[in-house]
Amino acid sequence: MSGGAAGAPKPLPSSGPKSLREMPHPLATSSSEEMGPALTPSPDLLLPRSIADKDLSLPNGTPVDTSSPASSSSLLNRLQLDDDLDAETRDLFVTVDDPKKHVCTMETYITYRVTTKTTRAEFDLPEYCVRRRYQDFDWLRNKLEESQPTHLIPPLPEKFVVKGVVDRFSEEFVETRRKALDKFLKRITDHPVLSFNEHFNVFLTAKDLNAYKKQGMALLSKMGESVKYVTGGYKLRSRPLEFAAIGEYLDTFSLKLGTIDRIAQRIIKEQLEYLVELREYGPVYSTWGALEVELSEPLEGVSACIGNCCTALEELSEDMTEDFLPVLREYILYSESMKNVLKKRDQVQAEYEAKLEAVALKKEERPKVPTDVEKCQDRVECFNADLKADMERWQNNKRQDFRQLLMGMADKNIQYYEKCLTAWESIIPLLQDKPETK
Amino acid sequence: MESAEAEPSDSRPEEDGAAPCSGLPPPEHPAATMEDCLAKKMEITVSEAEKRTGRNAMNMQETYTAYLIETRAVESQSEGQCAPVDSLWRRYSEFELLRNYLSVTYPHIVVPPLPEKRADFVWHKLSADNMDPDFVERRRIGLENFLLRVASHPVLCQDKIFYSFLTQEGGWKEMVNETGFQLKADSRLKALNATFRVKNPDKRFTELKHYSDELQSVISHLLRVRARVADRLYGVYKVHGNYGRVFSEWSAIEKEMGDGLQSAGHHMDVYAASIDDILEEEEHYADQLKEYLFYAEALRAVCRKHELMQYDLEMAAQDLTSKKQQCEELATGTVRTFSLKGMTSKLFGQETPEQREAKLKVLEEQIQEGEEQLKSKNLEGRDFVKSAWADIERFKEQKNHDLKEALISYAVMQISMCKKGIQVWTNAKECFSKM
Repeated sequence: MSGGAAGAPKPLPSSGPKSLREMPHPLATSSSEEMGPALTPSPDLLLPRSIADKDLSLPNGTPVDTSSPASSSSLLNRLQLDDDLDAETRDLFVTVDDPKKHVCTMETYITYRVTTKTTRAEFDLPEYCVRRRYQDFDWLRNKLEESQPTHLIPPLPEKFVVKGVVDRFSEEFVETRRKALDKFLKRITDHPVLSFNEHFNVFLTAKDLNAYKKQGMALLSKMGESVKYVTGGYKLRSRPLEFAAIGEYLDTFSLKLGTIDRIAQRIIKEQLEYLVELREYGPVYSTWGALEVELSEPLEGVSACIGNCCTALEELSEDMTEDFLPVLREYILYSESMKNVLKKRDQVQAEYEAKLEAVALKKEERPKVPTDVEKCQDRVECFNADLKADMERWQNNKRQDFRQLLMGMADKNIQYYEKCLTAWESIIPLLQDKPETK
Repeated sequence: MESAEAEPSDSRPEEDGAAPCSGLPPPEHPAATMEDCLAKKMEITVSEAEKRTGRNAMNMQETYTAYLIETRAVESQSEGQCAPVDSLWRRYSEFELLRNYLSVTYPHIVVPPLPEKRADFVWHKLSADNMDPDFVERRRIGLENFLLRVASHPVLCQDKIFYSFLTQEGGWKEMVNETGFQLKADSRLKALNATFRVKNPDKRFTELKHYSDELQSVISHLLRVRARVADRLYGVYKVHGNYGRVFSEWSAIEKEMGDGLQSAGHHMDVYAASIDDILEEEEHYADQLKEYLFYAEALRAVCRKHELMQYDLEMAAQDLTSKKQQCEELATGTVRTFSLKGMTSKLFGQETPEQREAKLKVLEEQIQEGEEQLKSKNLEGRDFVKSAWADIERFKEQKNHDLKEALISYAVMQISMCKKGIQVWTNAKECFSKM
């Protein structure tokens, strides 16, 4: 099990595959026996994965087969799988938990346990347990962007944290990050194409991820150039309507999210300032109570009550900071990366149109469309199809996520008021109590 | 040390009419029972407030607020008849005059305080302007409360000046001034002096004074922090209103989520608006606390009066002792203590026996008078302590009762606020669930 750093890391938790009984199942009961052959990934599905993985346009011009039938059938399969995706038909489960701090001579960092349970054939074993650090997640995301440029890759929590402002090793920060990393992997797991990505597989299973990374780098240097799926320099005349609509939607969407983020932050700020005053307010009742005889208990009661409200408010603000704001920011990052994918799509379309135009201008040649242009056309169609499918999936997930997020926000506020209500209701009898009845 | 009495006053207790300006309660008018209190016989309300302009004492134009006092006899209502309502207008300065009169005339009574003259303990939404309608309204309620307090006080309710204040529109000011009460008011300097120099005040009054100082301090602090708390709470609620707007804008670009977002936004607006009523209600609680903040001053006034009387007594006793001593010295010719007179007489020759005799006689007369005065001062002082302490006990019970009620009503307000909060967020949650 690689710890990744030089020097002697502290002993890490055991990392080998555990028996089913020992490992908690992320979802409902293990249903490996329920999974019929119909639900295992069809052979067709393997194709798009390998197509997407391979460099469709190598710098040295080696063409790769991207014939349409595979793309369209893959699209069908993707849609089919979407409808079937629920707990019982899932065949891949990934969880991120158990953060641990590693103190080494060179640096201090956190690793997270990544647990995988699967029945997929692409995996040699049914279960895996590895430890990964943020760097590794970042690497994975980059690899996915490179190898699946036509798809929307989920966002990671922010990479850089201003030291001194936020404690990178505080429980709250680590927990917030863990949740985001867990979400990240789960989103990939749910994706019918991304979840079959080779790098994802390695990420989940490799004992020594660094060795694999280095291998990849070596290959890269052999190639001599970045294998990013970017065709340079073509300008798109006009975005097709549906993608223009997506682009506009994303613009407004991220704008509104930004506003909501600011409002939420402002509310938290106002709440904390309110809390400061409340913390001074409660004890004054206590001071007064010390002066009085008959009113002593009622005043103390009010003081304690206000104290309870302070605690409740503190919890509310903490919850909002830890659970609400990060998800908003995740979606803002998501929108940004999606807009980039849209731009890439534009590039691909632009290249195709330019090449098509070039052919049309060459009147002397026979009007046969060269394979080069054909490939460009395929690329465009493939990209569009992938993107549309991903957008639909994204819209659905977004709806679920925001429904859950906003309901959660409402819930937290309800819980806050309920705590305060309980506190105030409980002192009414104390206030009404007559000294003679004691 | 013999306890001393207050200085003898010129006016003798009258059989009826204006109360005497001494430390004694009018002996012919025993304290009324609760049933006899004016408050039970008469309905008193301060029903309206009106802006007026007029000319003040320096013939400069001024704007002030006049308050309508309405009174109606209670008895006839049981017969199904409605007694006629009498009314007259008074301004705040007249209330002040009334209270000053009562404080001087009944120094052993914890006289109910007036509502604040100027708006204090404001937070940003409240106006510090005396002409602000909200301030005027709260003052109107405070003035009514003041009148009701006086009318339900067993001693104060019987005062004729108070009765005239409620019923006699013209000439009331002159009537008050004719009582000459201003002359009987103790100077602040005198009171301060007594406070520092008194040697043997009744311990209970010293403790009470200490208590009233602390009470004043703690309630002031409480009111100040409460105002800041109100300010911050206002901010929290109002910012939520921004959600309303942004949810509305966001819903415009959404398909299935749109309706849920839009209606949730509406609830956020409701939430933001709800704070106005909540905080307005809380102002009543603040006013209840303020009344007792000002009551602390009234308590202190009674303690000061005791200290003054006690100091007077001590001074009188001291004076008497020194006169007796002088007498003794003159009679026996011995000088027990060093005195300048003794020295000068030694230096410039003794007095003649006739001179000595005359001096002795004067002294003996003075001692006689002094002893009588001391006796009556003693009596006055003891009566004062007794009646003051009785009123203080009455006040303590009233205070405990009122403040308990105020705390209960405050808790009820908080409960209501929490319930409203739960309601709004539950509604919003339902809208979100439909997204």
